[in-house]
Amino acid sequence: MFDVLRGIISKVPADYVDIRYEKMSETKIVLNNREIFQLGTNTGDGFVVRVLKNGGFSSIAFTKVEDVEKAIKICLENAELISKNSKKKVKLAEVEVIKDTFIPSLREDPRKVSIDEKLELLMHYNEIPLKFENITTNMQYTEVIREKYFVSSEGTEIREDLITTGIRGMIISRDGSLVQNVRVGIGGSDGFYRLRNREEEFEKNTKIVLDLLKAEPVKGGVYNVILNPDMTGVFTHEAFGHFSEADLIEDNLSMREKMKIGAKLGSDILTIIDDPTIPNQLGFYKYDDEGVRARRTYLLKDGVLSGRLHSRRTAAEFGEPITGHCVAEDYRYAPIVRMGNIFIEPKDKSFEELLDLLGDGLYILDAKGGQTSGENFTFGAQYAFEVKNGKIVKMLRDINISGNLYKTLMDIVAIGRDFELSEVGGCGKGQLNIRSCHGGPHILVKNVVIGGVK
Amino acid sequence: MLEKLVEIGKKYADEVEIYQVNNFSSGVSFENGVLKDIETSIQSGISLRIIKDGKLGFSYTKNLLDPEGFVKNAIDSLKGDIKIEFSFPIGKELKTLNTYDLEIENLTNTKMVEEGQRISDILSQATNTQVNVGLVKSVSEIRIINSNGVDYSTKNSFYMCYAAAMYPGSYSSITRVVADKKFKEFSKEDFDYIIFLYNSSRKEVKPKSGKMKVMFLPNTMYVLIWRLVYGTNGKNVYEKTTPLIDKIGSQIFDPAISIYNDPFDDTIPGSRAFDDEGVESKILPIVENGVLKNFYYDLYYGSKMGVGSTGNGYKVSDWGGEIIRVRPTPSLEHLHMKPGDKDFYEMIKSMDKGIIVAQALGAHSGNIPNGDFSIGLSPGLYVENGEILGHVKDAMVAGNIYEVMRNVLSLENKTYMANMGVFPSAIFEDVSVAIRE
Repeated sequence: MFDVLRGIISKVPADYVDIRYEKMSETKIVLNNREIFQLGTNTGDGFVVRVLKNGGFSSIAFTKVEDVEKAIKICLENAELISKNSKKKVKLAEVEVIKDTFIPSLREDPRKVSIDEKLELLMHYNEIPLKFENITTNMQYTEVIREKYFVSSEGTEIREDLITTGIRGMIISRDGSLVQNVRVGIGGSDGFYRLRNREEEFEKNTKIVLDLLKAEPVKGGVYNVILNPDMTGVFTHEAFGHFSEADLIEDNLSMREKMKIGAKLGSDILTIIDDPTIPNQLGFYKYDDEGVRARRTYLLKDGVLSGRLHSRRTAAEFGEPITGHCVAEDYRYAPIVRMGNIFIEPKDKSFEELLDLLGDGLYILDAKGGQTSGENFTFGAQYAFEVKNGKIVKMLRDINISGNLYKTLMDIVAIGRDFELSEVGGCGKGQLNIRSCHGGPHILVKNVVIGGVK
Repeated sequence: MLEKLVEIGKKYADEVEIYQVNNFSSGVSFENGVLKDIETSIQSGISLRIIKDGKLGFSYTKNLLDPEGFVKNAIDSLKGDIKIEFSFPIGKELKTLNTYDLEIENLTNTKMVEEGQRISDILSQATNTQVNVGLVKSVSEIRIINSNGVDYSTKNSFYMCYAAAMYPGSYSSITRVVADKKFKEFSKEDFDYIIFLYNSSRKEVKPKSGKMKVMFLPNTMYVLIWRLVYGTNGKNVYEKTTPLIDKIGSQIFDPAISIYNDPFDDTIPGSRAFDDEGVESKILPIVENGVLKNFYYDLYYGSKMGVGSTGNGYKVSDWGGEIIRVRPTPSLEHLHMKPGDKDFYEMIKSMDKGIIVAQALGAHSGNIPNGDFSIGLSPGLYVENGEILGHVKDAMVAGNIYEVMRNVLSLENKTYMANMGVFPSAIFEDVSVAIRE
């Protein structure tokens, strides 16, 4: 494969060119209640070429190898058009030339488990909530195997495989016209073993969705809250993480000003790291889709902005070190800057100490989708408990949080000593990253806006 | 080629259906007045469905390198034992729609760069803030062929341009989108809309929390529509996860609200005479004068419910997933809300106290099945005595569509193509707003 790719780019008259060919095999089993909706393994493939010419940088994605000449011609024209019309000349940060093949070692290769066994396991977990008459489910098994080949005109040649397995779904309960739901998900990047013996997760979420039918809706307002590790992770990802992605602020001068290295953005106890290289977590990769080795990156150290996530283009633009965070969803896309595995570093507090410090407020658990506009962010939670005098009182539903990047990080007043990373991901920054990993400990945050009808 | 594939399929299966899509798209983006990216994509792919002994098989491929293997993959998936109670449709004469405008072929990237620069320059000068602009053109061809005589094709042209005036320190913005089957200039009306809303809300204000009038713009109406689209989806009716079961014929919204699906309106891009499973399209009222009229179905759920498809089987994938990888499911791809009789600017003047939801955050979270929403404002514009006083940031608007949409104050006399459909602006009474002081 390297020979073919090398052949394609060798003819391109540009300052820099790279090509990625990717074959992706996807196994999917979808259950709606007890009915199988989809089952099978399929394969797709395609090419992405990027060209840098006279400071103009452009990309093209295409499916058919016979389109290669047409595609490269369009891509060169676009690069020249940018070069002619943009005052800014794109440069790519220097990187080491790499020749490597990286196939992850797995605990139980999902390709060696038969589809019958996968179906049986999915049905087994699906039965746990379906024991209850007023529950319906949508559950799916997904296995994505990406075989990526990257070649650049600088001589880098990398093959890396990414293997992601997961079972995820929605459990829905109903009482008259009241409908409640929770999301459930297990999985990872290091083998099929993660999906075995996980009944507890489905039992726990079944109980939650039934309890939610009796829970009271939260009253809208401003609260002090404890977030559990899953909420901490989404909070870190939405409230802060996206704006440490250099491409998002590259051309937003007012945000770039506020996000200067050395800016004090968080409380003294707050340290945030993105590290795709930690083994056995969902977001693991060795090289990004520009052929750059991934690095552990301190984003916030003791509340002070100390780094950000880069592509080669943004690293050169900002004059900051490369981090290896430029990643594509699949063969249809050029890579963009992404978080790999973002988390808050644990500190010293036990959960009981956090409850005592909270006094009155909310304990909020398990995230349910979020979004950010840079300064402001919003995300939902599966459920919460009202806390009075440091004691958990009752369950509440309809929890949605909103906050402000520049204020909320200062309001993190205590950090727990536990630590957990997410098992399933799905960050939709134009492209869906199913390996987006996040987490941290329990944290205590002051003055959080909670939306509510009451 | 596809005919041959049908033949191969017929050797193994009772019925065969092939869905082929080819797409060319080119996008240009400007950030802060500077040309940033041009990206092009040439994609194609094929999905295959077969029916054998009342069971459904499915497979897909990007490059049809191995037709036999591709069919075999669909045969293999039969062991999933997916029981169905429908046949693929029979071919017939369909309505001719004007879906493709030849002019799209003359639209070069150079022309889009010029238009993007023009919009950036005018808006940055008028608003004195950061302006981002994106332009995209695409041409897609779909062909569906089945063993029951369907062989339908459609070629669609699409042009879209958005411009956003951004509030400092954030990605919150006032945005306007124009879309057409061919290039369409960003008009004076479009500029005036952004300039008025941005300039009059420049200041940050912090009103008190409470219940007030809330206006959704065409580009934020999807927050509410998302819940309705869930509630009327034939899949959720079949699975009994919608609160609208048994509500056909009931008043669920204010009598001012009528929402219908119209695939035939070919004055806008994307019109279709058939859906993604070769079923003839039709106009389907969802809500008429506030009364729930219809649920929508594809072949699969339509047959399960014994009502048949409503021509709403589409291959859709959340978050930009590739459509050839999924089976059709019920989907409203051509939604319209009927306009009212009020001028947009008069509507603002009629608000004694309220919030305009200019951009919403987190529409996908919250209890969608139940109709609940709870969104961050990004931003909201605060109105008092008919005047926009400024923008609100740390705030949430929350409610349940089956309560909020019962209480319409006014609807705009015009509609705009936006996320999830073609909508007017609308003001609702007594909606909860929580604001961080």
